[in-house]
Amino acid sequence: MNVPGKTETTEAVARARAGDAEAWGEIYREMGPAIFRFCRRALPTREDAEDATMEIFSKLWEGKLSQYDESRSFSAWLYRVAANHCWDILRRRKIRQDKETEDVENVPLEHPDPNQLDRMIEQKTSEEVRHALNKLGARARMALVMRYYSDMSYDEIADALGVRRAFVGVVLLRARHELRQALEGKSALAAGGTL
Amino acid sequence: MSDPVDPALPESPGGMTEHLDEMTCLLYAERQLDRARAQVVSAHAQDCAACRTLLRALERESRLLTRAMLEEDEPLPSRLAEFQERARKSFGWIWGVIFGLAATGLYALYTSFVEPLQQRLEQAGFGGTSLLSLLVFQGAFWKGWQSVITLFEVLAMVTVAGFGLVIFRRRLRRGSALALVLAGLCVALAIPAPAGATEFRKGEIYELAKDETVKSDIFITTGRARIDGTVEGDLFFFGQSIEIGGHIKGDAIVFAQSVRVSGQIDGNIRSFTNNLTITGTVERNVLTFNETATIDSAGKVEGSLTTFAQNVIVDGHLGRDLLGMDDETNISGTVGGGIRAKGRSMSIASTAQIAGPVHFEGDHPAIVDPGAKLASPVQYTKLEHESQYRTGHYYVWRIIWTAAFILFGLVLFLLMPKFTDEAVRAGERFGAPLGLGVLVFFGVPIAAILACVTVVGIPLGVLTLGIWALAINCAEIIVGTVVGKWILGPPADTWGLIGRMTLGFVIVRIVYTPLAHVHIVGALAGLGIWMWGMGAIALALYSRVQPTRPPNMTAGPVPPVGLPPHTTVGGIQPA
Repeated sequence: MNVPGKTETTEAVARARAGDAEAWGEIYREMGPAIFRFCRRALPTREDAEDATMEIFSKLWEGKLSQYDESRSFSAWLYRVAANHCWDILRRRKIRQDKETEDVENVPLEHPDPNQLDRMIEQKTSEEVRHALNKLGARARMALVMRYYSDMSYDEIADALGVRRAFVGVVLLRARHELRQALEGKSALAAGGTL
Repeated sequence: MSDPVDPALPESPGGMTEHLDEMTCLLYAERQLDRARAQVVSAHAQDCAACRTLLRALERESRLLTRAMLEEDEPLPSRLAEFQERARKSFGWIWGVIFGLAATGLYALYTSFVEPLQQRLEQAGFGGTSLLSLLVFQGAFWKGWQSVITLFEVLAMVTVAGFGLVIFRRRLRRGSALALVLAGLCVALAIPAPAGATEFRKGEIYELAKDETVKSDIFITTGRARIDGTVEGDLFFFGQSIEIGGHIKGDAIVFAQSVRVSGQIDGNIRSFTNNLTITGTVERNVLTFNETATIDSAGKVEGSLTTFAQNVIVDGHLGRDLLGMDDETNISGTVGGGIRAKGRSMSIASTAQIAGPVHFEGDHPAIVDPGAKLASPVQYTKLEHESQYRTGHYYVWRIIWTAAFILFGLVLFLLMPKFTDEAVRAGERFGAPLGLGVLVFFGVPIAAILACVTVVGIPLGVLTLGIWALAINCAEIIVGTVVGKWILGPPADTWGLIGRMTLGFVIVRIVYTPLAHVHIVGALAGLGIWMWGMGAIALALYSRVQPTRPPNMTAGPVPPVGLPPHTTVGGIQPA
């Protein structure tokens, strides 16, 4: 999977930690656009994403970077920071609702119609998917963005969302169903049909 | 955790194979099933076109999602493009403010303390030299302090190392940090020993007999000491009382309740004592901070005498000048130079002989016996007790010091953002920090002084006192931040907290300044602020040494829901 910002900036990070202002510029140029798009996908408005991006980099600047373990991927770590920050924003706004958690118990697990699903996916454009993403609940959108934009592992997603690792698959599946519903407006697809 | 292997392909009673559920397909597509279940799913998909189609659809859906999210459909906002430049500018601005405020603080220190002291020393006729030249060029004056400064340097380094450990605490395990601190203390204790072949003496009582000679410096930490022999280097004493009846060829640096010099000291005396009595001879200068300093009728100080004391009595011989900031000054002996004194009263007896000018600034004119032999009449200046609060000067400096404290707070918050945040949060709990603050405010200095009784405890005691003094300076900042948070609400980040600190600190200063006029209320308010802030800092420190939560304990809330039946999730990735 092509992950934005995957190119490592290890050297720049090391210099930034040593107080090199130019290195900050390199990190920002390398990762800033990717982090902005992450925030744009995760948060409701463009303004929110701009604010969040600046806050994330401000955090790094103010000392958060000292927590980065250099033996691991910087971009992965930065996405985790961004995910936690965005989720905090959403949580503070009470967009995340406990109801979402409760509803997951009722997620249908039967087959959707594979052919119908296949056709629908073939017909939909990226733009339509992005519009549909904006209609999803906070948790569903956050989960999809973490998984399919920044390639975060189930463990990382569980950690960011504060759920058990075993629960992440359920969250993702439910998010897909919500997405299909938003794309088609057909409850049968979203709820899953039978063969 | 992986669930036990669940048959992913339950067979119907009629032997018909049922289809995979979507959750299983998704986990398979995402490589989240364990090997056994993945093999079952793979085998089923070989034979089942519908499930194969579903798997393919899910994978295509994943790719569509990724593609849709990765596409750059919107340009980067110009605001973000400018962020780096703005950040760089704001960084420069911050450093500009820091250096500006630091320069202001240094100027305040110089004009408030150093310059007046320098002027007084010059006016007192310390060889016609400035304080700088006195310190730098007069070797004897400087020499006696070198070892003390070295000790303070070591302690300062250990302190800095301690703060360094706090800052980099995330990278060090607690045990490692403790080991490093202890190692640092051991190094600090070990350093003076090889440095100058200094002899160390400790215990309850130490006596250097008349026929004994110490050929180097000697460092004594005992309850009582008596020196009747000869010390060819400097003498350092930390203890209750010391009597120097022998011969010290270097300087005597003394921290004690009582000091009596009946022998001879070729160098200087620097003393921090309750009582200093000189009945012998000091060849050079005496600098003393104490309650009572006496040059007895038989005593001789060939150099100058500088005192910060309650009572000063010069009944013997003083070779050069007397500079005193003392409550009472009594002169009945001979003074080879002049006198410049400031205090409540001065009396010059009939037996006194003073060769230089006498300046006295006090509440009442000096009482001079007609029989006293003075080079010139006493120049008296009445001490003005005009309330400083009525002068604009006071408020200007109040603003400058407020700015300096805000600078200090800024540095503190940037160096230790998490700890200061914890201290502020602790400060919001009122009762606990106030109660603990009372204990820390009074208890820590007592404990530090008790620790100084033993030789091993001296560095620890001094370090503790230093940290206590630092905490006092931090207390008002913490309280100010709590007030700022009340007004502006919780901050989003460290800079938000700094903003609240600035606002709150200014408000605390504005409220406290008029309160300080009312003596008891002002004192109580000041104490309250100190104790509140110190208690908050102590609480934050206490929470740091508490056992950490086990790593397998979930930090966030866990939804108490079970998985639907036949749902298999959380498997390990297949090889």
